[in-house]
Amino acid sequence: MQQEPTKGISGRLPARLWAVLTVAVVALVVVIATTEKRTEPGASYKLDLKPFTKVDDKDVAFRQTARFALNLDDPSALAVADSGTVYVAGKDAVLLLDAEGHETARHAVKGTPDAMAVAPDGRILLGMRNHVELLDATGKLLAAWKDLGERGYITSIAANADNVFVADAGNRVVMRYDYGGNVLNEMGQRDLKREFEGFVVPSPYFDAAFDQSGELWIVNPGRHGLENHRPTGELVSSWYKPGMDLYSFCGCCNPTHIAFRSDGSVVTAEKGINRVKVYAPDNTLIGVVATPDDLHAPSDENDSHSPVKDLAVDKKDRILILVGPMKAILVYEPKTPGDRKP
Amino acid sequence: MSKENKLGRRDFIRAAAAVAAGGGAWMVSHPNEQAFGWQLDPRKCQQCGRCATSCVLSPSAVKCVHAFEMCGYCDLCGGYLQPGAKAQDSGAENELCPVAALKRTYVEAPFYQYTINADLCIGCGKCVKGCNAFGNGSLQLQVKQELCVHCNDCSIARDCPAQAYQRVPIAKAYMLKTLEKGSEPTK
Repeated sequence: MQQEPTKGISGRLPARLWAVLTVAVVALVVVIATTEKRTEPGASYKLDLKPFTKVDDKDVAFRQTARFALNLDDPSALAVADSGTVYVAGKDAVLLLDAEGHETARHAVKGTPDAMAVAPDGRILLGMRNHVELLDATGKLLAAWKDLGERGYITSIAANADNVFVADAGNRVVMRYDYGGNVLNEMGQRDLKREFEGFVVPSPYFDAAFDQSGELWIVNPGRHGLENHRPTGELVSSWYKPGMDLYSFCGCCNPTHIAFRSDGSVVTAEKGINRVKVYAPDNTLIGVVATPDDLHAPSDENDSHSPVKDLAVDKKDRILILVGPMKAILVYEPKTPGDRKP
Repeated sequence: MSKENKLGRRDFIRAAAAVAAGGGAWMVSHPNEQAFGWQLDPRKCQQCGRCATSCVLSPSAVKCVHAFEMCGYCDLCGGYLQPGAKAQDSGAENELCPVAALKRTYVEAPFYQYTINADLCIGCGKCVKGCNAFGNGSLQLQVKQELCVHCNDCSIARDCPAQAYQRVPIAKAYMLKTLEKGSEPTK
């Protein structure tokens, strides 16, 4: 007797039902794959800084006219000599550039200077973390001054014919030296009788610069402003602008860098909201120089360091911005009426 | 083999029990030496908020941790105050933390100390983002190992857009950014 072959499950179910089952399984997989995503965290769980970084074009008073690319690692400090030569310090070198950004000389140094100034006679002063190194105009090391201790962190140097002012963010003081490396006095001690609480320096950003008339201005970053001090340390005047708007200095400690133009206006750089602005001598905002977009530094990056490593104003009154990640100096000049958008 | 040298059943059981007891004692004295857990690298963290919402625990096992040695003790603290806060005080309308887990204590003019109430913290990272953007980055998110249930497939790690999560030995489970030599903030 011949036995009937056993039918498998595929043989027992009609083809149409198979097709329906297949479509159902595929649909289920697609639905799971597209919907098994967690919802985005709500707005109360996120800090959005983008609204604060927007700059209206009418507030931008300067335009970029040149960009000097640097053949230098870790560019960290910038200075303009009385001769007009632009000095840039970085890893193991100091570059000399002409007004068009062409490299004319290069001095080898050991390490990466955090700060730099050029004396009127061409000598170069480098802030090497906790001590100053003095180089002659050819780049030869003349002297290494006594260090400022383990906490010392030199972030700025301002030098005139007689004095060298060294801003030490670690010890929150400005030291006044002569060119022999002797300390003449220390500035920044708390003096509550004169309602001066000292320099508030929460992070390694602490700048000092001379204005067009040779007056010394020191940033008090935790106070969000600038202070004019006599060389002997007395506070002469000050202005502070804490706040998040365009007219103020944002965050815990700004401005990070300053430089003065020939008309007495002051150029300021900020971190947090990375931007460069210019204020008139009466402390009113003239306008924005570089926006966060210009600096390629949106404020939502996980980085508490400023992309702007230093500022300077050259002999043509152009604003020079040293941008570390770009390895470049951005050159800005005032907009002309034709540059402004309607 | 002579009869005297033969290991009896009782001797064998005693020896095995001694080995087991010794091994147990060693394990107790070296807890979790080879165990691994989840931790997030604060250098990669983008403070997207998912640590608060993706953890299987509620509130999350991720908490804000403060590296005090990096803190500037700022009055205008970007991690504590809302951007554009009308006043620099502890008014609820000025605080950035949605659950008021960050506490501000006056030290001396103009310095304040900031501490985290871990029981309240939900690990959203808003304060971390503010501190990173405007301060020194001393506020950082970390997986609290005593709270973490050590899922094999961490649901936050799966959702993390920065791929900041990694397996680390429990004995060295924390990855805070610090001011150690070589890792100091630079200009």
